[in-house]
Amino acid sequence: MRSDYIFAVLLFIPLAVIQLTLVPWLSYNQVGPDLILILLVFYTLRVGQLGGTILGFIFGLAFDLISGTILGSAMFTKTLSGFLTGYFYNENKVEQNIHSLSLLLIVFLIGTVDSIIYSFFGNTNTGSTSILIMFFMQGLLPGLYSSVLALPLVVFYTKKMFA
Amino acid sequence: MKSFFSRFWNGYKEYIVVVVLLVISLVLLSLSTNPAIKRVKTYAFGGFAVITSGVSKVIEPFQTAFETKRLREANAQLMMQVNRLREYGIQNEELKKLLALKDSSEYPLIAASVVSKFVSNSQGCFIINTGNNEGVQLGMPVINDQGLVGVVISVSKDFSIIRTLNNSELKFAVKNQRSKFDGVMEWNGTDLVIKNVPKTFDMEIGDRIVTSDFSTKFPPSIPVGVVAGGNRDKTGIFNNIVVRPYVDFIKVSNVFVIGFVPSVQKNNLELNLIRMNK
Repeated sequence: MRSDYIFAVLLFIPLAVIQLTLVPWLSYNQVGPDLILILLVFYTLRVGQLGGTILGFIFGLAFDLISGTILGSAMFTKTLSGFLTGYFYNENKVEQNIHSLSLLLIVFLIGTVDSIIYSFFGNTNTGSTSILIMFFMQGLLPGLYSSVLALPLVVFYTKKMFA
Repeated sequence: MKSFFSRFWNGYKEYIVVVVLLVISLVLLSLSTNPAIKRVKTYAFGGFAVITSGVSKVIEPFQTAFETKRLREANAQLMMQVNRLREYGIQNEELKKLLALKDSSEYPLIAASVVSKFVSNSQGCFIINTGNNEGVQLGMPVINDQGLVGVVISVSKDFSIIRTLNNSELKFAVKNQRSKFDGVMEWNGTDLVIKNVPKTFDMEIGDRIVTSDFSTKFPPSIPVGVVAGGNRDKTGIFNNIVVRPYVDFIKVSNVFVIGFVPSVQKNNLELNLIRMNK
């Protein structure tokens, strides 16, 4: 269990580097995948709700510090994302959750919530754009993009299981 | 009593922890402009930017290929423009001499590369590889060959954070170059907009928007974007004008910091004016 936390924190560093250097090139119209969220969901499904909440807080704090964004914004959303992901944690179904397509669904749901809450920090667009369009552009699309990026993780682990 | 707390903790620890951590986040959010917190952030991003700048150097050749093609095209167009502008420049110099105006259009440029980008709907930020050592200071504007990119909000020894136009914290005065109408521009989460423009103002799709002479943040006449549309609210007396920026924020890889420091004197005078009016 403790090694899970250590691995999660160690993996955060390369993923944060990729998030800040390569991911902007994969983004379209300010919509891009969130690799830190994929890592958070993956480890929360392994360590549970309490661990996921604390990991989310640590990831958010570190990301706010290194990315130049407002301190507290990613901290808030990632803490909440870790907590919400914890509801999908099941001690008896850890492997099943991580190594199946349900991981993609969880990443999609949590990614959508994470993006919507994150967009509240600084979104002043009231009235001129339809709320449905905003929900689609700032919630569903980033969530979908993140879940697509989580696909290799599922494929990799499924292959490993059947090898 | 002890067992009560123990039972309470065991039953609700997830909720207690999440509430405490969310409260800490919100407290830090409200303190984000605190100088001590800014200093911690400066050290943190300065340290991490060393790693991201290494990775950026590895992917630079791929970026350069895109950039070179675009720059070649831009170069050809600019060559045509330069010839025309040279003629205007000569005329302008002569007219200025006649009017005895001080030339305030030239500022030193500090070249920089973007080492990391944070793409977001509300908090667009870049980190560039120049800092205090090269003379970058807080508040300096950042441009590229296409137009205005943003403003420096934090500086370490070798790196700086740029708040881009895609950041809702950045608000600044702009001007319609054709009709000379001024307004305040901001990012609303989805678009760059000039807010509360009276419907009687002359704004047409395709008009060039540049930084205003009234701006305390930027020197005048830096290209920002073109008018792309506006909401046509039949009931109100104001419009929000949507502007399409010249700069493609996803593809930006090289920028220039303009050696222009916002005028504290001008800011203070304006603040005094506001206080006096109150």
